[in-house]
Amino acid sequence: MSPFGVLALLSWLLPTAPTFQQLPGIAIERRLADRHGLSVGDTVLLTPKPDRPAARYLVEAVYQPKADPATALRGEYQIRFHLPELARLLDAPDRVDRIAVRGRPGVPPDSTAFRLNQPAFGYRAYPSELIAAESSRTFAVVSRFHRAIGVISIVASAVFLLCIMLLKVEERRLDAAVMRLIGISRATVFRAFVLEATFVAAVGSVLGVGLAAVAGALTNWVYRRRFETSLVFSHLSVEIVAFGVGLSLLLGVAVGALAARRLVTARPLALWRRAG
Amino acid sequence: MSVVLGRDLTKVYSLNGRQVAALRGVSLTIAAGEYLAITGPSGSGKSTLLQLLGGLDSPSSGRLELMGRAVEGLSDDELTDLRLRQVGFVFQRFHLMPVLTARENVELPLAEAGVGRRERGQRAAELLAYVGLADRSDHRATQLSGGEMQRVAIARALANRPALILADEPTGELDAATGAQILALFDQLHRDGVTLVVVTHDEHLAARVPRRVHLQDGRIDRDELATAR
Amino acid sequence: MTWALVVRSLVRHPVRTLLVIAGIAVAAALLLDMVMLAGGMERSFSRMLLSRGYQIRLSPKGTLPFDSEAMIPAITPILEDLRDDPDIEQVGPVLATSLHVSVGDSLLTVVGYGVDPAAQGLYELESGTDLAPGDSTGLVVSEPAAAAAGWRLGDTVRLQGRLDPQSARAAVERVVVVRGVVRFLYDARGQRSVGADFRLVQSLGRQPDVDPASMVMVKVRADDRVDAVAERIAAAHRTVEVNSVAALVVQFRSRLVYFQQLSLILATISLVVGVLLVGTILTITVSERIGEFAVLRGIGVRRARIVRLVMAEGAVLTGVGAIGGVVLGLVTARYLDAILTSFPGLPAAISFFVPERTAIARAAIAVFVAGVAASGYPAWLAARAPIAETLRADAE
Repeated sequence: MSPFGVLALLSWLLPTAPTFQQLPGIAIERRLADRHGLSVGDTVLLTPKPDRPAARYLVEAVYQPKADPATALRGEYQIRFHLPELARLLDAPDRVDRIAVRGRPGVPPDSTAFRLNQPAFGYRAYPSELIAAESSRTFAVVSRFHRAIGVISIVASAVFLLCIMLLKVEERRLDAAVMRLIGISRATVFRAFVLEATFVAAVGSVLGVGLAAVAGALTNWVYRRRFETSLVFSHLSVEIVAFGVGLSLLLGVAVGALAARRLVTARPLALWRRAG
Repeated sequence: MSVVLGRDLTKVYSLNGRQVAALRGVSLTIAAGEYLAITGPSGSGKSTLLQLLGGLDSPSSGRLELMGRAVEGLSDDELTDLRLRQVGFVFQRFHLMPVLTARENVELPLAEAGVGRRERGQRAAELLAYVGLADRSDHRATQLSGGEMQRVAIARALANRPALILADEPTGELDAATGAQILALFDQLHRDGVTLVVVTHDEHLAARVPRRVHLQDGRIDRDELATAR
Repeated sequence: MTWALVVRSLVRHPVRTLLVIAGIAVAAALLLDMVMLAGGMERSFSRMLLSRGYQIRLSPKGTLPFDSEAMIPAITPILEDLRDDPDIEQVGPVLATSLHVSVGDSLLTVVGYGVDPAAQGLYELESGTDLAPGDSTGLVVSEPAAAAAGWRLGDTVRLQGRLDPQSARAAVERVVVVRGVVRFLYDARGQRSVGADFRLVQSLGRQPDVDPASMVMVKVRADDRVDAVAERIAAAHRTVEVNSVAALVVQFRSRLVYFQQLSLILATISLVVGVLLVGTILTITVSERIGEFAVLRGIGVRRARIVRLVMAEGAVLTGVGAIGGVVLGLVTARYLDAILTSFPGLPAAISFFVPERTAIARAAIAVFVAGVAASGYPAWLAARAPIAETLRADAE
């Protein structure tokens, strides 16, 4: 647990005393400053636990933390200290939670971590990639969930599309019958209807991408305001657009072909009678 | 008593923004038990007149009384009820409910009139026997021939013992032999005292009907009885 | 007669009808899943917290239970004070700390819970015997811990505490006997945990001299006194955080806002899809059969009956679709729940999708009502068709 989590902010004082120079400085995040009307030059009282004496600090800077999905929804505030100041406040001198190590260029992080772990001086070294993978497990779960919901949506749209195409076939019986009766081949009629389905699917895909872009922008706008973050909640990447368009085209053409097949396999006169 | 009393009936349609007069002042009285054929060339207003007489449409002007009730004052529900109980329709293309059996098609107006299940079953059976289809009562409409469908349509028209039967080209979709059977059935209805109005192109049909009203350009140009012909 | 017409009209185009029902079923399934998701986790959380009947939790100031490694110091006087309260039936202190046991050549780290056997709300016994009050040598273990360490009932275990990471040696060791296998209610799936007497775990944990506890669970005699008791405890002990289960649920809810909003959006979309499907298909079907409706009107069928006929078709489609949707929704909910419950660190007892009768009924009714409402427009079209004009057009 980070010490930030256990810091309790007891009270806020407006800038008054001319003793700023003697006070240790801290940097507070923009959200905290906005919510509590703090600005550079204000003094605050901080304590690591409610029953421990509070220490006075000077707000030296207000900063915007890097957007982090792991903390965006927690609503906790961040304060940055000079390391010795935080150690003093926590009454834990010479203690750190973690150390970041940058290896020399060309040295694989795995081998560095392995070497650092050999003496086992009460720490454990991990390559950054491993930590990133571990800390993104939550988001991997969310991602799997979204994918599953996506599959359900695709099934629903495929059924919808099939229904509509089936009805289009009913509507187009007379056209197909006329085409067949005047001597146009089955293959040509089939191609004509598949082409029509492809066109409809292509136009639908383009509209869908537009709708997704608007919905994504709206989602980002709402959630960025809601969680006061610059995180991107909805990202319409080229890959996603390609997947969406490709899938809907594929579905459209497949369903169109299925529907067209019903038209061309029936005898023209039977089609004519049913259309009448 | 007059079953139909029409005075100066006109009907004007709007077709692509153009006003088309289908009827231009038709006056007609039909007494109970009469058998009447309305004839005339295509576009003369025969079907329009029939639809007015059956309360399917309302005249643009003029006065129309059906069974002594002025049509223009009736609400949609009252007019629907009038069609249900007082008028029976026979259409050129039969217009049976394709998903129902012959018996169910005949029962349909009876059910709408609130007749109980048992009674309407009996009545439907009687009517199907009357039109010679007792053995086809459980066949779906789509499984019947054209002549059979038209006979079921006649049985349906008779279901609620209406004061007036209106038929629009009832033999138009049938071959000569089947058409003759339908005409024989109409003769039988007439003998049984049913008031019949038939719109037809069929000279053979028109020739055997006691009264013939000929329309030309939305007007009656001849209204003659068989004895006068 | 109406139902014969409705059912046979639907059977007339079986492929179309089946597809519409399938489409509605998928939309209904998604809606049901989203209704379950919207309230399921909150209910599951509340049910988990109340499973042993403890309605209040005391935790270190500024934290939620087990949300940090912070501890409440000097717990004994607080416990005595709580036990003196006539409204309080039971008080169960809990201390959570890392403990270690030697398994072969390696050291197995487990989560150690110190509990008062006479008042514990932390676990349920699965096999063996429970800790008896005053049993200072008993140990209960979770299934994953037993499996990892190879423990059996009656085994003697050397529990080690306060491991020095530099020397990999424990500062303190206690010998205990495995009495039972239990299910810890708040453990994540696969979590290796053991439970022992509160004072025993205190002696093995960090800073035993400060008399720490991680949490205190309080059972109030009467449910309607919970808020009053919580307020009284909070006023008397300002250095601890006092939360009733209801208050914890409210805090929990704020962390679930994403799922609630997602479920709301997806539920709306699935309803819109259902409405569009029913509306579109019935409108086209009515257009195809407009001549039939005109004939029905012609032979004296009232407008209201026509409306009922079309809406009954919508009702049958959505009714059958909704039933299929409930079945499909329950199946997909299990699959989606399996995905979401794999969130790291989530208590195994939490479910995101709780199949409650009200949720199922709500989703099915919503789909049904939306579907029937969607058939309103085609029904209106069918009933308003001008009879003469339609018959004329049909004859041409």
